[in-house]
Amino acid sequence: MIINRETTALVVDSTADLPEYLVKDPNLTMIPLTVYFGDEAFLDWAELEPVEFYDRLSKASELPRTSQPSAGAFLEMYKGLREKYERVYSVHLSSQMSGTCASAEVARSQIDGVKVVDSQLATGGIALLVDRIMERIDRGTTEEELDAYIDRFLRDKIFYFLPTTLDQLYKGGRIGRASHLVGTMLNIKPVLSIEEGVIDVYKKVRGLRQALEVMRDGLVENTRPGTTIYASLSHGLNEPVLGQLRELVETVPDRDIEIRLTSEVGAVIGTYVGPKAVAVCFIQE
Amino acid sequence: MGNSGEAMLTVTRARSVLRAGVKALEERKQEINDLNVYPVPDGDTGTNLALTMRGILEAVAQLPEGLSTKELCAAISQAALMGARGNSGVILSQIVRGAMEILGEQVYVTPEVISQALTNATETAYRAVRRPVEGTMLTVLREMAEAAVEAPVGDGRKAFMDHVVTAGWKSVERTPTLLKVLADAGVVDAGGFGLVVILEGAANGSSGWEVPIATHVAPSPAFEGLRYEDEAAEEESEYTYCTSFLLSGWNLDKALLEEEFGRLGDSLLVVGDARQIKVHVHTDDPGTVIGLATARGVLSEIEIDNMKEQTAARTKRLREASGQGVAEDSLTQVVAVVAGEGNKALFRNLGVELIVDGGQSMNPSAEDLIRAVERSTAPAVVILPNNANVIMTAEQTIGLTGRKVYVVPTRTIQAGLSAAVAYDKRNSGDVNAEEMGLALENVAAGEVTRAVRDSLVDGIQVKIDDYIGLIDDHVVVASRDLEAVIDDLAERLLEGEREMLTILLGAGGEDERAREAVERLQQRYPGVEMDVHDGGQPHYPVLLAAE
Repeated sequence: MIINRETTALVVDSTADLPEYLVKDPNLTMIPLTVYFGDEAFLDWAELEPVEFYDRLSKASELPRTSQPSAGAFLEMYKGLREKYERVYSVHLSSQMSGTCASAEVARSQIDGVKVVDSQLATGGIALLVDRIMERIDRGTTEEELDAYIDRFLRDKIFYFLPTTLDQLYKGGRIGRASHLVGTMLNIKPVLSIEEGVIDVYKKVRGLRQALEVMRDGLVENTRPGTTIYASLSHGLNEPVLGQLRELVETVPDRDIEIRLTSEVGAVIGTYVGPKAVAVCFIQE
Repeated sequence: MGNSGEAMLTVTRARSVLRAGVKALEERKQEINDLNVYPVPDGDTGTNLALTMRGILEAVAQLPEGLSTKELCAAISQAALMGARGNSGVILSQIVRGAMEILGEQVYVTPEVISQALTNATETAYRAVRRPVEGTMLTVLREMAEAAVEAPVGDGRKAFMDHVVTAGWKSVERTPTLLKVLADAGVVDAGGFGLVVILEGAANGSSGWEVPIATHVAPSPAFEGLRYEDEAAEEESEYTYCTSFLLSGWNLDKALLEEEFGRLGDSLLVVGDARQIKVHVHTDDPGTVIGLATARGVLSEIEIDNMKEQTAARTKRLREASGQGVAEDSLTQVVAVVAGEGNKALFRNLGVELIVDGGQSMNPSAEDLIRAVERSTAPAVVILPNNANVIMTAEQTIGLTGRKVYVVPTRTIQAGLSAAVAYDKRNSGDVNAEEMGLALENVAAGEVTRAVRDSLVDGIQVKIDDYIGLIDDHVVVASRDLEAVIDDLAERLLEGEREMLTILLGAGGEDERAREAVERLQQRYPGVEMDVHDGGQPHYPVLLAAE
C-alpha cells in the first residue's frame, strides 16, 4: 500500500510535546492526556501549556496527577480520520509508562486501517519519530518500508534525559527504588535512558557539565563517523542548559548532526521529571 | 650446633621466637612510625608491621602441639598473608613465606638453614614487588642474606645472628645513600628498620643469651626512615588485559613461570606451590600467557579482562520494568575502606554495603578485607582501598575468596566516593570496575593534614604542627594558617574546567575554621558548586575533591 499525504493520517498523543510545525501539519491530529491539580482538570497542551504548568507546579501544595485518553476518545478520532484516510498511524507514549497505548489498542480492535505504534519513548523522542514518519509520508513510501523504518527507529534510537528529581518517577512506579535512593546525599545527577520503553539510570555523575557530557559521549559511542544523525532536544523551560546541551551535540565531530526540532516538555511528562529537565533523542540514518 | 633440641622448629619454639619479635617491634613501633618521608599521620609502617606480626603470632598460638615442621611453616605463611596490613606488611608476608618455604623442609634450624631461608625470602620479596626499589626494606633484607651466606662458619649461632643483624643495621643506615627521597628528608628506611628490629628481637628474646647481640644504638630523632610503600607500589599498567588463572599440575616451576610471564607483561603475581599456582599478570598478549600455561598443567578459573576498553556498557535491565519494591539481585557489591562516620554514611548512600574501618592510623589486613568480601551476596566484588597504603593489601585478596574481586586503586576517600558514584549493582564486576575506574579520571583530590615533625619534603620546608596540603601524595603547600592551605589546594584542584568541589570536614576540632574558609571559598568561586559534608575522618581536617 502506498503511504502519502492522500492516504495516511497520524494520531499522536500530547506527551510527544510536538513543536509547532508538527502541530500545524494537516495530516496530524493530537489527542491530549489530562492533568489534574487537585480536582481541577486540564487537557495537556490544549488547555495547559508549559509556562502556566510549571508556574502552577511551583505553587501546588501537592503534585499533579495524570490520566490517559479513553478508548472511546480514540475510537471517535479514528472513525473520523478513517472517513478521509485509508491508514491511520497512531503513535504514543511508551506503554511501560502509561496506559495510553492500551486505550488506543482497544479502539483499534474495533476498527480496521489503524496501526498503533508504541514509541517506547516520551516527549521529544516521540516527536523525533513523528518527524521521521512525516517526512516519509510527505515524500511517499510503501507501508512495508514505513513499518520497517519504524521498527529500526525503535531499535536504534537513543534517548537520554536529565530530570531534576527522581521522586515523582519513583512514586509513579516508573523507576526502581534502588535508583531512586542512591546518591541523594551527594547531589548526584542521574542521566536516565529509555530502553525498550523502560526508564533506567544510564550513568550517574556529579555536576551538570559532566551529566551533559555523558549525553554527548553516548551519542559518540552509539553512532559511526561519516553518518547523518537526526536529533531532537527537549527542555522543561530551561534555555541556558538546553543551550549547553545543543552546543555539545552540534559540535560532535565527524558526523552530520541535524537537530530536527526542539520541544518544550509539557505538563504530563513535566509532572514526572520536574521542571528544568533536559533531554536528547537521536537516530543515525 | 650443640643443643639440637633447641634448634628444632616446633610450635612452642615458633611461638617463643615470634613473641620475642613482636615484643621488640611493638616497643619500637612509634620510633618506626616517626620515620615517614611524608609527615602524614596515617598508614604507619611500624603499626602495620606490628599488626602483621601479631596476626602471625595469634594464628600460631592456636595451632596444636606436635604439628610437623612443614605444616607449621605452611600455617605461618598463610597467617602472614592473611594478616598483612599496608604495603610494608604485604612485603613482610612475602619475606615470611620465602623463609618458611626453606624452614618447612628442614629438621634443624642451623646457620646454614637460616642463610638459605634469608636468601629465599629475598628472592620471594623482590618478586612480589612490581618494581623493586633499592634503599628500601628489600635492600636491607638482601644485604642481611648476603652477610649470612658470607658469615664465618663454626662460631655458633649467636655469633652468626650477631653478624647478620649488624649487617642489617649497616644496611639501614645506608638507605639514604640509595634513595634520594630519604636523603632529602634526612631519614632512613622505616620498613628496613622494622625488619631488623624484628630479626634482632626474635634472636635475642628467644635465645636466652645473657648479652644481647648487635648492640645497636637507637637512632637519633633526625635519623628517620622512608615510608617505602608510597614509592614502590603504584604504577599504572601499560598493558591492556588483566589475565589470571589457577594452574594445577606436578612439579610446577614457579621461577620458570615467573620468568616467562614476566617477559609478557607486568603486575605479575605467581603464588602457590609445585602443584597449584595462582597467576595474575597484566599483558597485551593473554593468548601467549594461556598457551604457555597449558603446556605446564591444567587451567581453571581463567579470567581475562580488558582493562582499557570503553564499552558503552548498555546492559539491559528490563526486569526492573515496574520497579517498585522488586528485590533485585546484585551482580556486584563494593567493599570500601573508610575512616569517619560521616564518610561511611556517604558511601552507604551510594549503595556501598560492605564498609571496612580504615580509621585511626589503622590499615586493614588482607583478612579484614577478605572477611568483608565474603560477606558479599554478589558473585563479584569491587574493593575501594581509598588509601595508597591499602592498595597492595586489597590486591592480595584476589583469588583468595569465592568471589571475583576487582580492585579500583583509589588512593583517597574522595576518589573512592567518585568511583562509588559510578557503581551500579546490576552491572557485572568488570563493567563496574571499568566504569568506576573511568570515573576517577575526572577527579583531582587533595588533603589537608598536620605535620608530625619538621622536614623538607618535595622541596617544601615543613615545620611540626604546620598544616600541609597534599595532592597525589605530594606536599604542595605548608603553612601555620589552615585557610591559606585550603585556598592554595582549592586553586590547584580547580584548574581546568572543574565545576564542582566536594569538601569533607574532619574530626579534629578544626571544622569551624575549615567551614569558614570554605564559605569564603564559595565567594571566590561563584561558578563552582560546593558540596560540604562532615566526613569525620581523623588526622585530616579537610579532604577536597574537584571534578
